[in-house]
Amino acid sequence: MAYSKITEYDGITEYKLDSNDLKLLLAPRRAAPVVAFMVLYRVGSRNEAVGHTGATHLLEHMLFKGTPTYNKQNGTQIASVLQRQGGVYNADTWFDRTRYYEMLPSDQLELAVHIEADRMRNSFIADEDRQSEMTVVRNELERGENEPSNVLHERLWAAAFREHPYHHPTIGWRSDVEGMATSRLKEFYDTFYHPNNATAIIVGDFDESVALDLMSRHFNLIPPSPSPIPQMYTVEPPQEGEIRFTLRRTGQLGLINVGWHIPEATHPDTGALTVLDTLLSAGITSRLYQAMVETQMAVDVGAQAFQFVDPGLFMLHITLRPGVTHAEAERVGLEVIENMKTEDVPEKELQKAKNMITTQMIYLRDSPLGVARVIAEAEAVANWKMFVDLPKMVEQVTPADIKRVAATYFTEDNRTVGWFIPKQEEGIDSNDEAYEE
Amino acid sequence: MMKPMKNNSFVARTRRFQLSNGVTLMVLENPANPTVSIAGSMRAGEYFSPAGKDSLAGITASMLGKGTRRRSKLEIAEEMESAGARVGLSSNTFTVSVSGLSLSRDLPMIVSTLAEELREPAFPAEELEKMRQRIIANIQEEQDDTRVRAYDRMTQLVFPEGNPFHQTPAEKAIGQIESITVDDIREFHQKFYGPSSMILAVVGDVKADDAYALFEEKLGKWQGAPEAVIDITETPLQPAAIRETVVMKDKPSADVVIGHASRLRRSNPDFIAARIANNALGQSTLSSRLGLKVRDEMGLTYGINSSFAESGIGDGPFVITVTVAPENISLAVGATVEIVNDYIANGIREDELKDEQSSIIGSFKIGLATNSGLANQLAASELFGLGVKYLDEYPSLVSTITKSDVDEAIRKYIHLEVATTVVAGTL
Repeated sequence: MAYSKITEYDGITEYKLDSNDLKLLLAPRRAAPVVAFMVLYRVGSRNEAVGHTGATHLLEHMLFKGTPTYNKQNGTQIASVLQRQGGVYNADTWFDRTRYYEMLPSDQLELAVHIEADRMRNSFIADEDRQSEMTVVRNELERGENEPSNVLHERLWAAAFREHPYHHPTIGWRSDVEGMATSRLKEFYDTFYHPNNATAIIVGDFDESVALDLMSRHFNLIPPSPSPIPQMYTVEPPQEGEIRFTLRRTGQLGLINVGWHIPEATHPDTGALTVLDTLLSAGITSRLYQAMVETQMAVDVGAQAFQFVDPGLFMLHITLRPGVTHAEAERVGLEVIENMKTEDVPEKELQKAKNMITTQMIYLRDSPLGVARVIAEAEAVANWKMFVDLPKMVEQVTPADIKRVAATYFTEDNRTVGWFIPKQEEGIDSNDEAYEE
Repeated sequence: MMKPMKNNSFVARTRRFQLSNGVTLMVLENPANPTVSIAGSMRAGEYFSPAGKDSLAGITASMLGKGTRRRSKLEIAEEMESAGARVGLSSNTFTVSVSGLSLSRDLPMIVSTLAEELREPAFPAEELEKMRQRIIANIQEEQDDTRVRAYDRMTQLVFPEGNPFHQTPAEKAIGQIESITVDDIREFHQKFYGPSSMILAVVGDVKADDAYALFEEKLGKWQGAPEAVIDITETPLQPAAIRETVVMKDKPSADVVIGHASRLRRSNPDFIAARIANNALGQSTLSSRLGLKVRDEMGLTYGINSSFAESGIGDGPFVITVTVAPENISLAVGATVEIVNDYIANGIREDELKDEQSSIIGSFKIGLATNSGLANQLAASELFGLGVKYLDEYPSLVSTITKSDVDEAIRKYIHLEVATTVVAGTL
């Protein structure tokens, strides 16, 4: 046998390919004749350094440019081959990981396995492709820069992280993207794209023995990395004092982002932080919605615990109603957060938040790709078993946990606050706000 | 006794009911996951908004979720959110969509909430005021979006005022929203919300007979408005090409929208051929003709697509959209026009046709793999008068399309020579 069974947990079986340590997760669900295949690489913008930001993402684009087997010249371009099957396919890059995926009619599983095995080591990464793809990525970056909310979000992370690479956005800084040498991308590819740095995930309508056979046939001959995968070791030191900044450019509605440093995903407080973000911002009964949208202070409000391999941020974002000042909206938003430190959340409210999280996990099971995505996210930041354990972790959260976690992380010294203040374009009469400085 | 052959067709698996007031209900049992999805529609969309109150249909649909004569918005939300369930209405160009999702044990709860909202809405004045302010702020925010500005302006140039595809200019829309009253909403609800055009599809872990009994109990006695008639004349092609710019500040990427009246509806006999014609041209940024040239080869854009944007009950526009840095606009538009002209002159290649056919059939199969995907397809087939059997027949209908069918559709429906091009950005 070319593979070893490692463990089985809640209907998901983990295997390892003996020849190269590729991790394989199989989650058969035979509700409909479709299958999702995903390969996750443990490399993201977290592994980039000054001058090379955006390399992981640009490389991800380059992996659609072909291999000796799959290419435009012989009519087998990866996208065209997958499109022909009506597949849902793409790839995405984030701080900690890059993932490539396909959802196809179940009789096409081998196609997805073959493409991903092939492009793991055989991608061209040619200089002429890099030149045209760089400008594609530059347009992607420019589209992001069109959106004040996106620019504010990026600036907040850049302000909150000084030393750790979560400082820079996954898409990279513009001049780094423009100046990136093809040799640098190739080096990145040769450093991180190996079976022992990857997890393959199959969810949906497939036969376990057939899947194992396909995986060994297509991945077995790929050798493991010649040297160990380099580890990222930079640690963000404590913040030691509030950071504030202002962004001014043309726009319509004012925005506020607040971020507090929170621990890594494997930390025991993850369950409480997940419940906290739901209590604060999920649905119209949530605390922030009631305090800010119902009272006409905000058009939109949200909170999210961004948890990664390394410590991330708990973020609050507010889109201001015209006429409301940033200072007033910030005061009310922070008051809601502050209350979480002292108030015992009523049992009924806590249970509601838990139910929202657990039913969401059940709804997700309707789609093989949805399941694959969430398994991959857990695997990228911690371990795939966290996907299975999350409902249990959430169920155990008590009102005291919520208070303790809020008091631990939502402190002034640990906080970064950014305001987007729109400069008005002529025309639409919208924001009659008297800017408060 | 011999075991009967299992018939896996959608016709065999779907139970179709008529409630006593005329609501059409379809139920497909799928016990794979303990959840239920609802999808459906009713003819009460923006088309029915009276002149001068263009958003009335949308506001009415949203106001139905803002409290009933029995319970406040918050009381309803408490119950729904505590169960992680949702149900609601939203308006489209011609219809109001119904959608719902719950654990199967909570189906009675979402059905009775839906019925309560449809039959006994309260339309509280203070909720209207809040909604009004939110919608206005959203419209203002959208004015900062290059895509919205370019698309809306294109529709204003292509479709006459009063046509449902003509997007009302922002300032005018805001003025109209400010004038809408609770009485307007009440009147709209009485006039257009009724069971006769209502279609509901329910898919998931539920027994068809139980679902029927439940809907009959909650909704079967509802006597609302009589069936509303949609009578929309076809928008002719524009006589000549128009080009306009919308100048905005601080936008590193511009949006280009090229559009014209498509004269294509879901009921056109060559609808599938037209769909294949579009898909090969621009459905996928990564693999269609436009994307292969303008993105993959020239590297000018992250996204270029074409679509028959709203070919359903009415004939919406044929649209090509591309995002591009301002200095590359003429290059991108030039290449786009060249590709389309070549496509019109030479038609689809045989291999391309084959690929698009298998792509449509494969993606149809994938779309039907989830409860919500199935519910949406069942409801849409009913709305367009195609029936459940259409889901079984669709793959073979797609397979029978020939190159000459597609070439004819290309020549009939794609006309860049008279298209309206709008560029929005920092120019």
